[in-house]
Amino acid sequence: MDKNSGDQKDQILLRQLKDILLSEDRADIKALQDTLESYDLLSAHVSPIVKDHLQSFRNNYPEEFRKIVAHLIEERAKRTEESIGLINALIDDKAQLSEKVSPIVVDHIENLKQNFPKEFTIVIDKQIETKLKGSQDEILNIITPVLGKLIRKSIAHQFQMLKESIDRKIKSTFSKQGFFGRLFKSQRKNSEEILSEMDPVIIEEVYVIQRDSGLLIGSASKEKTLDQDMIAGMFTAIKAFVEDAFKRKNEELEMIEYDHYRIFIQNFYSYYIAVAMSGSISASEKGQIANRLYDFAESELKQIPADINDSLNSRISEKLKNYFFDTEQVLKSA
Amino acid sequence: MISKKIILTGSFGVGKTSLFNKFIYNKFDEKYLTTIGVKVNKKVITIDEKEVSLLLWDIAGEVSQDKIPNSYFLGSSGIIYVFDLTRPSTYKNIVKDIDYLKNITDEAIIKVVGNKSDLIDAEKLNEVRNTIMQPWDIITSAKTGENVTELFHSLGKAFIQ
Repeated sequence: MDKNSGDQKDQILLRQLKDILLSEDRADIKALQDTLESYDLLSAHVSPIVKDHLQSFRNNYPEEFRKIVAHLIEERAKRTEESIGLINALIDDKAQLSEKVSPIVVDHIENLKQNFPKEFTIVIDKQIETKLKGSQDEILNIITPVLGKLIRKSIAHQFQMLKESIDRKIKSTFSKQGFFGRLFKSQRKNSEEILSEMDPVIIEEVYVIQRDSGLLIGSASKEKTLDQDMIAGMFTAIKAFVEDAFKRKNEELEMIEYDHYRIFIQNFYSYYIAVAMSGSISASEKGQIANRLYDFAESELKQIPADINDSLNSRISEKLKNYFFDTEQVLKSA
Repeated sequence: MISKKIILTGSFGVGKTSLFNKFIYNKFDEKYLTTIGVKVNKKVITIDEKEVSLLLWDIAGEVSQDKIPNSYFLGSSGIIYVFDLTRPSTYKNIVKDIDYLKNITDEAIIKVVGNKSDLIDAEKLNEVRNTIMQPWDIITSAKTGENVTELFHSLGKAFIQ
C-alpha cells in the first residue's frame, strides 16, 4: 500500500469516527429545534398554567418569542461547536487519540483472546467442515497417490524382510543346499534379465479416465488409434462390468491381457489411469510402472474438475505425452 | 467443448441400438441383433454455436437392478429411457423403472421416449398415452428418423444451459 492511499484511508476512518461521536449531539439539536419551533410539541411538555402563559406570551409578543427560541438554539449550537472542536483536536492529535482508544482496543483484543474458542469454535468448525465437504474430491485426489506409494513401499519392505528371513534360515540350516539354491536363483535372475532385454516393455498408450462416467480426461499414444473417447468409455464399461459381476467390495480390475498386449489399470479416487503396453512384463516392472503413475498423478492430477472439457483434455494429454513418450519409451528391467 | 455421458436404456427390442445407429451413422437396419453388454460411441453436436461431445452408452437389456451393473449409470448426465409404443410389456414397469433411475443417478436428465412411432396411428397413440402413468418427453421413429436428432439435441441444449 502506498503512502497516499494510506493517508486517504486514515482520513476516511477519522471522518467516520467523528460522525459517530457527534451523532448524539446532532440528534439533540434537531430535537430541540423541532420542539421549539413547534408550539404544539412544546406545550405537550409543560403544565396547563405554563402552557397558557406561553400561549399568551407568544400571541402578545411574537417577535420576542421568536428571539428567545433563536437564542436557545444558538446556545445549544455553540456548545455543540465546542464539542466538535474538542473532538477534532482529539482526532488530529494521534497520540492523544491513541491514548483514549488503545485501552478499549486492548480490552477487546484481550476479551477476544480469552473468549475466542468459546465464541467462534462452532462457527469455525462448521466453516471447515463445509470447506472440507466441498473439496472432498480434491483432497482425495491429492491423498490417493501418496497413500498408494506408501502402501507399495510398506508391502515391498515387508517382502524384503520376509525374503531375508527365509535366506537366513536356509543358510543356517542347509548350507550346501543353500549354495545350490542361491546359484539357481542367480541363474533365474539372469534368464529374466535376458528375456527382458529380448522383449522389452513398451508403453503404447496412456489414458486418464474419469472413474464413473468413463469420460476421457486426457490421453497420449505412440500411434493414432481408434477414437480415444470410445476406448475410454469401453474400458470403463468392461471395468464396471467385472467389478459388479464379482461383487467384491473394494476390489478393482487391475489388468486386462490380450495376446502380446496388456492394459495395466491404476485406480485413483475420481479417475483411473490405463496404460496399454507390449512386451514381457515382470512383477518388478509392474511395480515400476505403478510408481511412475503415482508420481505423475501426484504432480499433475491434483485438481481434476468434475466437468471435462477440451482445454483440460489438451492440457493433460500434453503432460502425458511429455511424461511417457518424449523421454524413454522402453521400461528397463529393475 | 464439453463432454457428457448419455445412457440409452429400456427393455429388449425397443430400438435403443437403432436410435443410437440412426443418430450416429444415420443408418437403420430392419434386422434385429441383440446388443451384448454395452456399446459405446461418440458424436459431437453443435448447439447455439457451442460444441458438445456426447458419449453414448447403448446398454443391452433391461432397466433392472439384477441385470445391469449400477455402475453403468454412474457419472451420466443424461438417460434416455426407451419403450416400444407397440408393445405394452415394454412400458408396464415404466413408473418403477424411472423411480429406480432417479434413485441411482443424482443429476442426470431423464428423457422418456416412445419409439417406433411409424408403426402406430394417432388413435392407437392416444390409447397408449392414456394407459401409461408416466408422461413421455418425445415420440420417435428410428426407421423414419422422426425426432431422433431433436431428442439428442434437446439433451445437448440442456447440458449447455
